Order: sequence, then structure tokens, then C-alpha cells
Amino acid sequence: MTNNFDLSKWVGQLRDQGITRGDWWALREYKENTQFRMARNGKNTQNALETTHGVMVEVMIAGHVGYAATDNLSLNGFKKAFEKAEISALSLAKNSLHKFTDWESRIRPAHKGSYKSPARKELSSFSGADATDYLLNISGNLRSGKNVMESMAYMMLINTDIRYISSNGSDWQQEFSILTKDFSATAQRDSIVQKRSLGMQGHQVGAEGIANFDAMESCDRLVKEVNELLDAPECPTDKRDLILMPDQLFLQVHESIGHPLELDRILGDERNYAGWSFVSPEDFGKLQYGPKILNVTFDPTVSNEMASYNYDDNGAKATKEYLIKEGTLVAGIGGVESQQRSGLKGVSCARACSWNRPAMDRMANINIEPGESSMEEMIKATENGILMETNRSWSIDDYRNKFQFGCEYGRLIKDGEVTGVVKNPNYRGSTVAFWNGLAQVGNKDTFEVWGSPYCGKGEPNQVIRVGHAIPTCRFTDIDVFGGA
Amino acid sequence: MVAKFCNYSEQITNSKKLFSSTKDFLFSQLREGESLGINFSGEESSFTRFNHSKIRQRTELEQAHMGLELIKNKRKSYVSFSLSESTTEVDLKGHLSFLQKEVDELPEDPFCVELTPGEKSSEERTGELPVIDEVLDFLQSTLEGVDLAGQIVSGMSFQANANSLGQEHWFSSESMYLDYSLYSAKEKAVKGSYATTHYNQEELAHALEDSKAALKVMDQKTTQLKPGKYKVYMAPAALNEIADILGWDALSGSAYKQGECPLGEAFEGKKNLSPLLNMDEDFSLGLSARFNENGELADELMPIVKEGKLVNLLVSKATELEFDLKSNKASQREAPRSLVIGTGDLAREDILKKLGTGIYLSNLHYLNWSDKNNGRITGMTRFGCLWVENGEIVGPIKDMRFDETLYQVFGDGLKAITDFSEVSMATGSYSARDIGGVKLPGLLVEDFTFTL
Repeated sequence: MTNNFDLSKWVGQLRDQGITRGDWWALREYKENTQFRMARNGKNTQNALETTHGVMVEVMIAGHVGYAATDNLSLNGFKKAFEKAEISALSLAKNSLHKFTDWESRIRPAHKGSYKSPARKELSSFSGADATDYLLNISGNLRSGKNVMESMAYMMLINTDIRYISSNGSDWQQEFSILTKDFSATAQRDSIVQKRSLGMQGHQVGAEGIANFDAMESCDRLVKEVNELLDAPECPTDKRDLILMPDQLFLQVHESIGHPLELDRILGDERNYAGWSFVSPEDFGKLQYGPKILNVTFDPTVSNEMASYNYDDNGAKATKEYLIKEGTLVAGIGGVESQQRSGLKGVSCARACSWNRPAMDRMANINIEPGESSMEEMIKATENGILMETNRSWSIDDYRNKFQFGCEYGRLIKDGEVTGVVKNPNYRGSTVAFWNGLAQVGNKDTFEVWGSPYCGKGEPNQVIRVGHAIPTCRFTDIDVFGGA
Repeated sequence: MVAKFCNYSEQITNSKKLFSSTKDFLFSQLREGESLGINFSGEESSFTRFNHSKIRQRTELEQAHMGLELIKNKRKSYVSFSLSESTTEVDLKGHLSFLQKEVDELPEDPFCVELTPGEKSSEERTGELPVIDEVLDFLQSTLEGVDLAGQIVSGMSFQANANSLGQEHWFSSESMYLDYSLYSAKEKAVKGSYATTHYNQEELAHALEDSKAALKVMDQKTTQLKPGKYKVYMAPAALNEIADILGWDALSGSAYKQGECPLGEAFEGKKNLSPLLNMDEDFSLGLSARFNENGELADELMPIVKEGKLVNLLVSKATELEFDLKSNKASQREAPRSLVIGTGDLAREDILKKLGTGIYLSNLHYLNWSDKNNGRITGMTRFGCLWVENGEIVGPIKDMRFDETLYQVFGDGLKAITDFSEVSMATGSYSARDIGGVKLPGLLVEDFTFTL
């Protein structure tokens, strides 16, 4: 019976019956419940609870690790998984990319401990009926707005428990409580259709995150802004200063700082799927990624950010580290395996999306440290510019150089004043030139916690949650353009 | 030659038994006025990923997942869970009682799709898949001196559906693929794939040899192009990326009614597609199950574009209930499940000649809408894209960003379609191995816009 499943009891039984294999082994249990709730146009449309529960078995033989995953949590299921993990490890021994050394001291160090999201009220205390009422109210309110032809209110309530036990004494548990939400209003006048949304917001929080959010204020703002877009001219096509709000800049950081710094990409693991990186091993300690005001950290300690944790899925203790310090690239996003393979400094970021996939290098919380400029100072410093909010489109090449982003809402700035709204704002550029055009970094008042529940990578594919806490920033001489 | 093939008959038999006993138990627990729909899917797969022709990670996986949708008085709720021999009747009762509480408490869903007795179907596509260690040994010997990245995936997967009114479907298949790219010393790359249901080592060796030959071309002089409009040949693998984004609302009846359908103006006849273009949802391809999440069996063949006219959007039953569109038994996502684009008259040997001076697009990467309502897409060139002058290959191009509308690719800009097409098996594996595939030709397109 999986509800009362206790991994530590199974470990004793597997040991006693001689089922474990290899020079070293570990079991990573992953249990997740996700409630999806959605209302459209004031009508109840989606109520779903998706759960998954299984175990990844890791077996190491002579420095090579094999993986086998199963949701058959019976003696028979564990036995087969251990046998398959052993076969996997042995096949690597014949033709492996890397034979790991210092296994128990460095690659899979033993830790005992726990982590729990800072949730004051269990997500489960918010019932299906409560969630549906809440979303019906919001989507109904949005739908009644002027010119609104479609409205949506959506929420995911996620509880994830990870337990990890290894033959060298690791035994830790992490419990995550995550709330993500998005609301949108689509308005139409004749052939013009525009949309405004919250952007997908996600935080580690409990049910108190719902009560503390002023949904009606957001509804009023979205309806007002979508109507402004119906009346707005197209975004101009030219080169100008660009102020990016955190709800867009977080994805810019994700795509053009996070991914290219992943050590497994730099090592070539992702060349066939997600891609390579323009960053080479020689760039660490040298590459001027941006000006001195750019400070980027891997920070698993921000309390409500989506990917905060104490241990990564290889069991390494997670701490805050600088990736870019005063503009210079100093460390990569790579867990202990990539660190040993590359000889480069990394962080504790080996993560798996679930029980059925092995850990690999993933972003967790990749943040820009706040600077000193206020929002007013950034606008005032802009002679000819545009401010963009809320991502709606993204694309970047496989080396993470040439990007293009589209946003929902743009505001032109002339001589230090906001002059009007434009629709279909887009911009494009190349990574290092773009970040070296960073002119101002917003202060703590502009700093917001964002993230994405949908970062895709890996063969086999994995989608994982990442966090990005970001201030508003101003960039110079950026190519911007409008719709077709 | 391989010494032995895998036999998945026992796993398939066990999965069928588990499906049968679980659904019978769940149906026996239903109360008055309740109806229950069940989806069941699973796999036994082996994933081995390579870098520099050596094994980076190998994962063996057994998983099965069941989804239940309970409907009562136009209220519905859904729960899904991992299902195996370790799942108990107490677990199943727990899932069902969660749903029963939900439908008692939730408000009515005005567009609730009621279950129907429907039909029964069963398709078991068996294959001849090798013991993976033998393929790994073969690759180790044949990849000497070659830099390969990618993964080999092999195994069986299944999808099933049933409801408490008697509908029942089963689809299982056995397949494998090596999805890979090869790299030259100058870090130039070509993409390759070997996908099959019946493994043949000679065919795999042949595919790798073809890729090695293609890689040699990549070491010729690299051309840095300026942004602008170019004539392009879009090979089937490149068109596959465009086909993929068609599943992001471009053919969705629901998106059309919500003002977010990129090809909405083609459906309304306000914008034209090329009369050369024919596009079908064609399940005779045999790679996808014909039944959807509701257990509705789609027609084996449904035209989407007929000689340039967008005649059918993909419409699910939920969309039919909400809007004035008739369902054609599409999936809930209203994305193509077995897309086939018709061939034309451009012979393989004439491609370079007809392209003249332009870009041979072998692959594209990371597509997204840049202006969704106008059908405009941005993305990148990737893997083996070549500059061609006067019908002769000059060499690879430096990767370029494009930004162009579907109306240009499938409309005014479309000048020819190849007289051959290629079947491509789905290689996605987010949470589970994708089932499905497409059959696509190559396209010759004029005035295709590159921006960066």
C-alpha cells in the first residue's frame, strides 16, 4: 500500500534478503501530488489530481553508476530494479564516458537531514470546492471586463516528498509545498486580439499564499491593460534602451545565463537535444559576461523561491554561490559529477524531475542580486526607450547566443517620461553583447521572485521547476520590433 | 547480427491483466448515477545516452500510470496514479473516494463530456527489438574515431482506455530508435536517426555511414549570411519542427474560437495557402492509437488542408459542446496525432538545381510564435544547414535566426514539394515515451526571412 510506504523499512528488508547490488547503492523515493484547477469565463472547467510515486535505484560498480526506476514498490519490483541497475552499471564499465573517483567522499557524500518549504498552512487545507470558487470568481470578474472575450484563472497546488537513502549512510528527506497560478484576459475589437496575464507565478508557500494575494486588484489591472493594448500602436522597429520588468527578465536570465552555464552542456552531454554552449571551460574566471554591476548567484536559500532545497538529488549539500561576480564568470551550474569530469567549480544542482529519471545538471534558483537604482531613476535615465512586461514568446539557439523574446505589454519612454502603451513588443540580440549593455540594476524595491515550472532538457527528457529572483534592469541599444 | 531479440509478450500480457482486474474492481465500486472513464498507459524502456560516443548514463525503466475521470450530474473530476502489482484495493478505493467527494462538492461543468458506450478496439504491434547490450557493443566497435552524442531508446509501450459503459481500447507497440548527432573536429554537426520496430544491424550501420559522409561536407568553408530573405529547401526533418508547432493551437478548434489560432484566417478563407499543399490526419501510418482520452475512435483519414484550403480544424468533443463546431474526435489538446503532408513533384535529384542559390535547411531548432495571431514563427537553423550557390553546395552556414509566417511557408512562398516523404517516429519522452509519428516531404520556399 503506497500511502503507508516507508523506504527505511524496505531498505532493511532488501539488505536482509541480499537484493541490493554493487559496490554502493542508493534509493531515491519521489512522491508527488499535483492539483490542477482551472476556470474559464466564470465556468468550472478542470479539476484534476495527478499523483506519482516510485523509486530510482542507483548501483555503482567500480566507479560507474547504473540506474533503474520502478513504480512497482514490491519485493519483486525492487529485485528487478536492482538487477537492471547492476546490468546498466556493468555496461558502462565497458564503454563509459568517465570513471568516477572519490565516490563516497565527493560524488555521493553521506548526509542526514531534512528540508521543508516555508508553508504555514497545508495546501490540502484549500479544498477542491474552495479552489474552484476562488477561480470561478476571478475568471468571472475578468470575463465581465470591457471587450474581454475570454478569461482564464488557473492554479497548481503541488506537494513533493523526496527521501534518499544510500549504502554509505545518507538518509535525508525534503518536503516541498509549491503554489503556481496564472490569470488572463483576452480582449477583442474587430480583428485586433490582445491578451494580458499574470505570467505563470510560482512560489514555495502554503495555502496562505492564496489569501495573501490581492486577486481582484490584479483583475482590474489586467482588464485595464488589455484594453490599452487594443488601442495601442504597434511596437516601433528600431534600436533603443530597454527596461525589462522581472516577469520578463527572469526568462532572459534563464535562457541566456542559466542554460549556457550548465556544465553538462559545456561538456557536450546535451549537444543532441537541448544544445551546447558558447561558454568554454577556459572562460571561467575570465569572461566578462556583463558590467561590474552584474552579480548572478545560485541561491537555494531564498525562502519562497521555487527551487530552494538543502540537498540536490545526488545528495550534495546546497549553498549560495556566485556564478557571475562583478560581471566576471566565476562558476558553472554543474553538480559533483560534472565538476569532477570538467575540473571546474560548480554548485549543488544535480536534480531529477521525478523518480523515473536520473539526476543531471539543472538550474535551481538562479538570481540577479539587487543593485542600487530605483524604478524612477531607470526611467529618468532613459532618453529613448521601451519598458516591456510579461513574457509571451521565447526562442534561443542551441549555443545560447541569438535570442528573441516577445512580451505582452510595452510602454514607450521618451526623455525620462513614460509616453504611452504599445502592443506586440519584441526584442532580439546576442547574449554577451546584451548583458554587457546592462546599464542599471534595480534596487530591492524592484526585486521579485519568479520562476518557471517548465524547464525542459535531457535525454530522456525531463521538465523541472526553477526559480529566478530578479530586479528590474535597464539595457542600452537593443533591437526592438512589433507584430506582423 | 544480433544473437537474440527481446520478448515483451509476458509484460504485455501482465499489463493487460492488471488493466482488466483494476477496471473491473473500480467499476464494481461505482455508486448510482456515477460513470467512470479510465486511461492507462505504461512502458518498459531502456534509455542509454551518449557523449563523445561513450555512455554517459543508462536508465532502465518500468512504469504504468492510470487516470480516472468520474462524472456525476454534469460534475467531473480526475485523478491519476502510478499503478503496479504493489497497488492495493485500498489504494484504488482511496482514489475513487477522492473523486466521489469532489463530484459531490464541485459546481456543474456546463461543457462536461458525458461518457458513451462507444466502441472496442485492440491493436498490438509487436516488433523485433535487440537486447540493448548487443547494440551497445556494436556501437562501441563502429563508432571508433567518431564523436556521437544522442541516445538509444528501446522497449515496449502501451495505451488503453475503458469506461463503465463498456467502451474498451488497447494499443501497444514495440520500437527503438537511435537519435543522434555527429561532430567534426571543427565542432560542425549533422543530425541522424535510426528508428524501427524490427532491428536490423546493417540498416543501423548504413544510417551511421550516411551521417559520416554528410559530416564531411560540414568541414567545407562556412558562410556567414546577412539577415534578409532567402530561398530555402526545408528537408523533412526541418519541416518536422514546423509540424510540431502546428500542434500549439495552429489547428485547434478551441483556440480558433478563443481568438488564438495562428491559422484562423486560413480557416475563414481570408488568407490563402498554396494549392500545392495537402495535409491529413492519417492514422494508417500506424504509429499512433486512433482512440483519444475519451475513447473516441477518430476516422482513419481526415483531410486538414486540401489543395490549399484549410477544410478541418481539429475539434474535440469538449469544444463541440462549448462552441459551434462539430467534433472530429480530436484529442483534448487538439494537436495532430498522425500528421501526413502530401508529396509533390520535386525529385530528390532536382532539389539543389531548383533551389539554385539559397539555403538547404536540414534541421530547425527552438521554434516559438513571435506573433501568434498572424501565424508568425521564430526559430533557429541547426545541424547541417548548407549554403548553396547555382545548385552546388558551398558548405555550412553560421546559424541564423528566422522569423516568418506559416502563410509564407505554406502559402505564397511555397514553390514545390518533394515527390518523396519520410516517416519520423516521435522521440519525445517528457514523463513517458511519446507514441506517434509524422510523414513529411521536403518543401522549396521563397522569400523566407532571416533576422539575426
